[in-house]
Amino acid sequence: MKMLRSFIPDTLLIALAVGAFFAFPYDLAFLTRIVIMMIFVLSIDLILGLGGIVTLGQAAMYGTGAYAAGLFAVHVSNDPLLGLLAGMAAGAVIALMSGLLLMRAGGLTLIMLSIAVAQVLAEIANRARDWTGGADGMRGIRMGPILGQWRFDFIGQTGYIYCVVVLFVVLFALKGLKASPLGLMARGIHESPARMRAIGAPVYQRRLILYTIGGAIAGIAGALAAQITQLVSLEVFSFTLSAEAVIMLILGGAGRLYGAILGVLIFMVVHHLAASVDPINWLFLIGLMVLLVVFFLPKGLLSLPPALQRLIGGAR
Amino acid sequence: MTFITKRQLAVTVAACLLAGAAQADTIRVGVIAPFSGPFAIWGQQFQQAIEVYQAEHGTEIGGHSIEFLYRDTGGVNPDQTRALAQELLIREGVDYLSGLVFTPNALAVAELATQSETPTVIMNAATSMITTQSDYFLRTGFTLWQVTVPMADWALAQGITTAVTAVTDYGPGIDAENAFRSAFEAGGGTVLDAIRMPIQTTDFAPFMQRVRDQAPAAVFGFLPAGPPTYAFTRAYNENGLREAGITFLGTGETDETTLEALGEPAMGLHTAYHYSAAHESEMNHAFTARLAEMFPGSVANLASVGAYDGAALIYHMVEVAGSDGPAAMQAAMGHAWESPRGPVSIDPATRHITQNVYIRMVDRDAEGRLINREIDTIEAVPDLGLSQ
Repeated sequence: MKMLRSFIPDTLLIALAVGAFFAFPYDLAFLTRIVIMMIFVLSIDLILGLGGIVTLGQAAMYGTGAYAAGLFAVHVSNDPLLGLLAGMAAGAVIALMSGLLLMRAGGLTLIMLSIAVAQVLAEIANRARDWTGGADGMRGIRMGPILGQWRFDFIGQTGYIYCVVVLFVVLFALKGLKASPLGLMARGIHESPARMRAIGAPVYQRRLILYTIGGAIAGIAGALAAQITQLVSLEVFSFTLSAEAVIMLILGGAGRLYGAILGVLIFMVVHHLAASVDPINWLFLIGLMVLLVVFFLPKGLLSLPPALQRLIGGAR
Repeated sequence: MTFITKRQLAVTVAACLLAGAAQADTIRVGVIAPFSGPFAIWGQQFQQAIEVYQAEHGTEIGGHSIEFLYRDTGGVNPDQTRALAQELLIREGVDYLSGLVFTPNALAVAELATQSETPTVIMNAATSMITTQSDYFLRTGFTLWQVTVPMADWALAQGITTAVTAVTDYGPGIDAENAFRSAFEAGGGTVLDAIRMPIQTTDFAPFMQRVRDQAPAAVFGFLPAGPPTYAFTRAYNENGLREAGITFLGTGETDETTLEALGEPAMGLHTAYHYSAAHESEMNHAFTARLAEMFPGSVANLASVGAYDGAALIYHMVEVAGSDGPAAMQAAMGHAWESPRGPVSIDPATRHITQNVYIRMVDRDAEGRLINREIDTIEAVPDLGLSQ
């Protein structure tokens, strides 16, 4: 019974994804952006929410994945799935390499270093104009059909389904990881690294593994963005991207995977609606929303139902 | 799972359009630009200029009424730009796209414009190769080569034979450096040194010292508009380059929206550009007066004139071809008209605007405000970047 109950949110999510496809046939481009962002924020939830590794530089892996997938499409093969693997591998490699240093640090040092990694990569991409197109962006990415079957269409139906499938694969993989010994150990490290070390857990090594997996997932998100937009710009490494993703995670609630999905959905839908109603002053509304949530629901929107329950219970 | 086929969707869209046409034929134009964040001024200038154009020319032309829709990209964001363009094309059913400030954003729209045969009037994004990426791209802004080459030619004509270039180290800066160097050296000048300054720098004293030590007749600068430009022009004065007789040559550094903030140090700076708000023509006086009347505190700059002429071009295409994309593109080719910046036309070879480039010097007008006074004109300059 308990086993069954744990699948309710997933069934709901799948129904939501399918429903959105039919309910908003004209907004698939926007929905696809939301799905890609969800994958990216999930990668942050893994390292920040689960492992307690606070960084503001996850865009480093996202951007690397995007450029890797772009270069792969231009120079090697236009197969989307192979490109996705290339992006994933590139994200993992960058996370592993930078993680060797970063995972030895903590707190503010870690935050600063993670930002620095993204900045350095952005500068490298800017310099390597022949490869990346520099500030003009990398163009010429043309994707082939998925599995030789489904072409990317103008309306974005293929793109949406493709990204949704990847999202669910990532989500289920992360659910498995969360329940695995590695996931449990990560939770322990999050709560008290000193104690974990005392019981003999290899803290540094486990954090490095977690960070690398997070990097691989961020790389997947970047690769999807490159394949859908067919252009990669230097902004994939921007600090704003990393920071906004963390805000979305906190909005939804960190450490529970569904928080990442809810946070991205609410943030981007409000952003989209507010920005199309009032293209000049919409930022105010977003700011207000984040303020209210952080103030009244410090654990994110996911904690809204229990909070309401408490409120009603308390009134009685 | 059943897919909605493209045909089914096309039928639905067509049905909606026909239903609309029965009442009043409205042509919709999607303007994609930054309206929030540090670049919000661009969207604002676009929208104001378009509204001025509509106030002057009405919202109807050739039996069609024209409606502009505005969408916000923030800054450089090709992912969002592409999604917004898709939304405008598919859900809002726009017949024309426009705006587009940054090169990556414009490039992200290229494939969509081609596939949907939607004429796209780029109001700013200034890299030469953009218009080669889609047959449906037109541009009413400028390119770096278009204004930089005349600057180099004019300098040579003034007897300046040695120069140092000092540019910000990013794509457009390097383009400007290449454009200046190739034109200057082709005309017999010598570039003594090519300095590339980091994009985050605000302290330009060491670079200015380096320029001064080499004693060129002129320094050619290129920087992104905003705080770096203030610091750069101040460093030019404080390090004694002006006293040493080193002429300052630039392009968009003395933009009208930031000119007043530059203050006294800006006096006498030489720039080559396609538009000055102080351009002496009846049409420009009418345009700037109307802009100031409708939006107190606003000043016209390159974004305003790019959008004003973009609207003019779209009106012309709508008048001739309505919502027929390929026919509208035909109508735009070679189209010539009078703009607040002077006579302009669309070059059929590049689909870029051919225009006068003016050599200007910062001066004060009768009321003591800083203006870009035009002192020389190079007539009918096409985009010079693609032939390089």
